[in-house]
Amino acid sequence: MRTSLVAGVIFANANDNMLKKLTSNRSMASVPFGARYRIVDFSLSNLVNAGVSSVGIITKENYRSLMDHVGNGVAWDLDRKNGGLYILPPYSSRDIRKYTDTVDALYGAMDYLNRCGSEYIALCDSYALANIDINAAVKAHIAKEADITVVYHKGTLPEAAGKKLVLTLADDGRITKMAQSVVSEAAYSMGVSIIKRDLFIKIIKDAYDEEIKNYEKDVLPKALSALKVYGFEHKGFVAVLDNTHTYYQASMALLDKEVRKELFNKERPILTKTRDDMPTRYGIQADVKNSLIGDGCIIEGTVKNSILFRGVKVAKGAVVENCILMQETVVENDAVLDNVIADKNSVISEKMVLKGTTEHHCFVRKSQIV
Amino acid sequence: MKSKKCVAMLLAGGQGSRLGVLTGKIAKPAVPYGGKYRIIDFPLSNCTNSGIDTVGILTQYKPLELNDYVGSGKAWDLDRLDGGVHILPPYQSQQGGDWYKGTANAIYQNLSFIERYNPQYVLILSGDHIYKMDYSDMLNQHIESGAGCTIAVLDVSLEEASRFGIMNTKPDGTIYEFEEKPKQPKSTLASMGIYIFDWEKLRYYLTEDEKDPNSSNDFGKNIIPAMLGAGELLKVYRFNDYWKDVGTVDSLWDANLDLLNPNLNLDLADKNWKIYSKTTGTSPQYISDTAKVENSLITDGCEIYGDVDYSILFKDVTIEEGATVDYSLVMPGAIIKKGAKVRYSIIAENVVVEEGATVGGDPQVVGNENWGITVIGDNLTVGKNADVSANKMITEDVKEGAKI
Repeated sequence: MRTSLVAGVIFANANDNMLKKLTSNRSMASVPFGARYRIVDFSLSNLVNAGVSSVGIITKENYRSLMDHVGNGVAWDLDRKNGGLYILPPYSSRDIRKYTDTVDALYGAMDYLNRCGSEYIALCDSYALANIDINAAVKAHIAKEADITVVYHKGTLPEAAGKKLVLTLADDGRITKMAQSVVSEAAYSMGVSIIKRDLFIKIIKDAYDEEIKNYEKDVLPKALSALKVYGFEHKGFVAVLDNTHTYYQASMALLDKEVRKELFNKERPILTKTRDDMPTRYGIQADVKNSLIGDGCIIEGTVKNSILFRGVKVAKGAVVENCILMQETVVENDAVLDNVIADKNSVISEKMVLKGTTEHHCFVRKSQIV
Repeated sequence: MKSKKCVAMLLAGGQGSRLGVLTGKIAKPAVPYGGKYRIIDFPLSNCTNSGIDTVGILTQYKPLELNDYVGSGKAWDLDRLDGGVHILPPYQSQQGGDWYKGTANAIYQNLSFIERYNPQYVLILSGDHIYKMDYSDMLNQHIESGAGCTIAVLDVSLEEASRFGIMNTKPDGTIYEFEEKPKQPKSTLASMGIYIFDWEKLRYYLTEDEKDPNSSNDFGKNIIPAMLGAGELLKVYRFNDYWKDVGTVDSLWDANLDLLNPNLNLDLADKNWKIYSKTTGTSPQYISDTAKVENSLITDGCEIYGDVDYSILFKDVTIEEGATVDYSLVMPGAIIKKGAKVRYSIIAENVVVEEGATVGGDPQVVGNENWGITVIGDNLTVGKNADVSANKMITEDVKEGAKI
């Protein structure tokens, strides 16, 4: 059997305290982003673009939406005989604890880790979103003879960003210090790391036995002294997704042409499940400015500085500004929205006025009728 | 292998020569339509939605793009364990081989394909038209009537009737005569080129027709008259919905812009009769502050900085600031640069219209006698400040400043 060099493991749930409003009934990985994607699309595409043909997605709860979205992996070319896409829900067996944190979860996925057969594992969390050249990270990992390579980004963090795993790096890229803290500018982990599979399995087994909880917060910093941990810099755009505020800012960043060009890199395309939508229709009175629009929308009103996901309808006379409207949202005649984040299938009724502020966006829940 | 009730044979071999440069490298059914579809999506989606899961696609002219597009048929739910979609090019056998000589001959050469599924009925389709149709409804009528062949017809106007193959029928829908492009039409029921045959009868008449060296091996010209002459029962199936031939530049342009008509009786968004297509991922579309978009269809990957009115933009099209596109189709990957003006045109894939160039002409300005849709062939460049007037078919790069 031919196995690819690298197999992927994706954490679908990340930290469940993140993006609470959008993860109340879905995993972090299923959170819609960027007018037509879900967060997991970026991890999956990054892996597939690096030639990975075997991916395990570790989920803890709320994974129905995720399973529905990824299916058998066909949209990412992962419906394979050799490799494939595996959803790894909590392993219900008497001697396995229910997932309390990432070490538990990885231990529960041991079967997949043992059987995927690849030489390396690329571990991807779902809290930061980017178009990452995993192939380059793996090459660097091999060239440096690293034990673990952590993909990081160096830059300014949004004010509202939560704690990050901040890295201190030596000139040769070796990581000398790791600490969780809130910072405004730093080199911080993006939750993506490369490690040899055998080593990874050993580390997880040891951590599990010692009842260590979190891979990134606890295991990695401990590994610094005994192992060669290097950093690989991702220089492009990163969407920090900690809370509704940073999610909004990251979304609006997509209105910048350079960000789009880099994130939706044609050499490493971001793939997602197709919905067989029609192209978006712009009506006679449509007035659309500075907005990112998914397919299948019908726009007859005004849309400015907004992100519209697939299948959104904006009726005549409606005004949508500074909003994120997720799939199938309906904005009826003459409704006025400003700084609103509307989850899937919501309806904003005729003449309804809904205004949030830049500090505090108005949030409409999934399928809510306002 | 299980026996199938009905197998569909889709004739996709034609050149579509009237589409000129648009079919220079691809077969007509592969021609892009509606922002993200290809013409063949319609008969294929109709088959799936009608419960027909076994489709033979007969290709001949420049089939590469079409074959690549259809692939395993998965995009239309036609990648099946038993049945599914099959590309059928002409092939060699021990006795030699031949290109498809006519529509009937094409099916004749593939009788063994149909035999594998041993169906009771065979549905003959073409890949040239935009329409939604429930073939199972036509099949039910065919079975109930006991006809040997049922032909789908569209009621056209008397003026148009002389352009079509016309079925002359009795009040109960029985066909007693078939006239090809009659100068004095006796009826207005035009053949849509969609037939359902009893398999045994189809096999018989095709085999007989093949023996006649003078035959054109054409369904309309030879098979139907032969069946009528032999006293077979032939019935019409009346179709009342939208149906558009896209065999000419004008009709392709027209059929596309029909999608912008709010009263159009062709809802591509209808979840109960989805039109599937094979799309590869690309980014969402972006409409900028400097753009003005009205009355148009735009799809993924487009970056719009200029004005778009009453037009259809396919994927990954860029309209730069100051550029305008009106009453036109812009196919995948094309770039319309700053200040360029495109109107009443079809811009094929990956064309670059350079800054300040103008393409096409407004009928009200040019006058109806001189007007026609302008087509720029795929991968060409229209140079800076060049001017391509109405009714032109461009097959080579247009030099900077040139006037055509």
